[in-house]
Amino acid sequence: MKDRRVIIKVKNLTKRFSSGTAVDGISFEARRGEMLGLLGPNGAGKTTTMRILAGYLAATDGSVQIDGLDVLERSHDVRKKIGYLPEHVPLYPEMRVDEYLQFRARLKDLSRRRLRARLDEVKSLCGLHQVSGRIIGRLSRGYHQRIGLADALINEPELLLLDEPTIGLDPNQIRAIRELVKTLGQKHTVVLSTHYLSEAEMLCERVLILNHGRIVASDSPAVLTGLLKNKNIIVAEIIGPHAEVSAALRGLSGARGVMVSSCVGAENNSAEEWNCYTLECDRDADLRSSVFAMAARRGWALRELKMEPRKLEDAFAEITGNVEMDLK
Amino acid sequence: MKNILLLLRRQFLAYFRAPLGYAVIIVFLIISGFNFCRLLSQNAAESIQIGDILFGSAYFWLMFLVTIALITMPLFAEERHSGTIETLLTAPVTDLQVVLAKFAAAFAFIIAMLLPTLVYSVIIYMFHAEAGQLSFKPVVTGYFIVFLIGAFYTALGLLTSSLTGSMVVSAILCFIGMSITFLAENLQYALRNAWLERLLAQISSVQHIIDFSHGIVDSQAVVFYLSGTALFLYLAVKSIESRLWR
Repeated sequence: MKDRRVIIKVKNLTKRFSSGTAVDGISFEARRGEMLGLLGPNGAGKTTTMRILAGYLAATDGSVQIDGLDVLERSHDVRKKIGYLPEHVPLYPEMRVDEYLQFRARLKDLSRRRLRARLDEVKSLCGLHQVSGRIIGRLSRGYHQRIGLADALINEPELLLLDEPTIGLDPNQIRAIRELVKTLGQKHTVVLSTHYLSEAEMLCERVLILNHGRIVASDSPAVLTGLLKNKNIIVAEIIGPHAEVSAALRGLSGARGVMVSSCVGAENNSAEEWNCYTLECDRDADLRSSVFAMAARRGWALRELKMEPRKLEDAFAEITGNVEMDLK
Repeated sequence: MKNILLLLRRQFLAYFRAPLGYAVIIVFLIISGFNFCRLLSQNAAESIQIGDILFGSAYFWLMFLVTIALITMPLFAEERHSGTIETLLTAPVTDLQVVLAKFAAAFAFIIAMLLPTLVYSVIIYMFHAEAGQLSFKPVVTGYFIVFLIGAFYTALGLLTSSLTGSMVVSAILCFIGMSITFLAENLQYALRNAWLERLLAQISSVQHIIDFSHGIVDSQAVVFYLSGTALFLYLAVKSIESRLWR
């Protein structure tokens, strides 16, 4: 049976800098094997929280325990349990990949006997075998991210803290790193900080949404998106006189408003061209069958009819007051 | 101890994986070599003072101080600038271990840079007519004070590097600090205070160099440099720790 004891216990955590309060009295827990997402816009307090969890910074107030140990009082023991990947993956560019990983492994108290086998394991996991003899500074950003992850994993930590692991990568690299993080989530407890909503939605079992240093929502991505979105969006592509079509859609029971756009660009007034109608309706109303019946009755051609899936980004925008996000 | 050796090795090798380390050593050896030839030819006709030839030149010390500012500036400032300080200080190592390892690496670099200058002493003994009458003591005490001053200023450079994320700022602060201590004796004329005059005369490196390069060992100077080194290292540890209470 999987061990689901609490591994991270954060209580009233506050961090104040001279420039202001970065983290403002947050409390949360994470259980073993959980993949927890810290989601929020830039400046929300994610990186500060990660740094405190990793023992790099101390809290102004509150407490942080990792596996029952206080991160400051038992800092040395806690560090052995953690694998930390900071934002922007700082590495020593003059070192070779193997040399760097060996240096980090020895620094993290890995015995010489275990070192070789573990090095092979993390290189396989992170896809580093083919570059193991190369100088780090000459490798791509994607490889830097993999080296950072390999470093975080080298001492077989119980807890992985990954701060924005896909930031600055191209789409292929992002996909590869996400797959890797997903794999890691099967063996480790992972705290993942990100401002990519799709990433949190795809990878995390539970998400804490941070804004201005506070937790403004905490639940699974599915629950958050389901609970917090209070309207449905239906998209229909119809040929017909657009004023009449708009009026008819607006007249349906449960409809709140209609927006029209051409399927190829700007709004199209011609009755012979396809227009795209976005119908906003009540949360409990699924008006797709009504739209279909109306189009059939009026003799308007209909080629697409769908309900827009609820996304975490909508929930996030509602919670944080439409803060700009990277919608990757 | 294992962690200190690991960190020391990485830092020491880093000097030789960038042009800075080679450039510093080459420029130092060229200038000190020319300076040695110049002093040797000037003293050829006179009764030779080996300590003066080896350690009595302003060029030697200017290059020595510049070198220390250059090799200590990246110790923490570069780690802070690149962010590697975060992975370093979240590994299971103590701040003291990190500071000691970095100090030892920079000091080892200075020793490596000074080692070739031993050839100058060998040249004097081999080729000077009065070699049999030359005392070996000023060479030993001279190198002793060079290493003491080297350790003291390396610790100062380490401290300034821990205070900033900019290598240039670190080098400038270090050089100002070194200049004040090195030339402290000259400041006493500007201050006109008996107590300060005595203090400045005590800490001035110039007088220590003159004494040691003539074979005179001043225990006060030894205590001053060793305790100063310890103080700067302690302050560097506190500076690194300050991330936890700032």
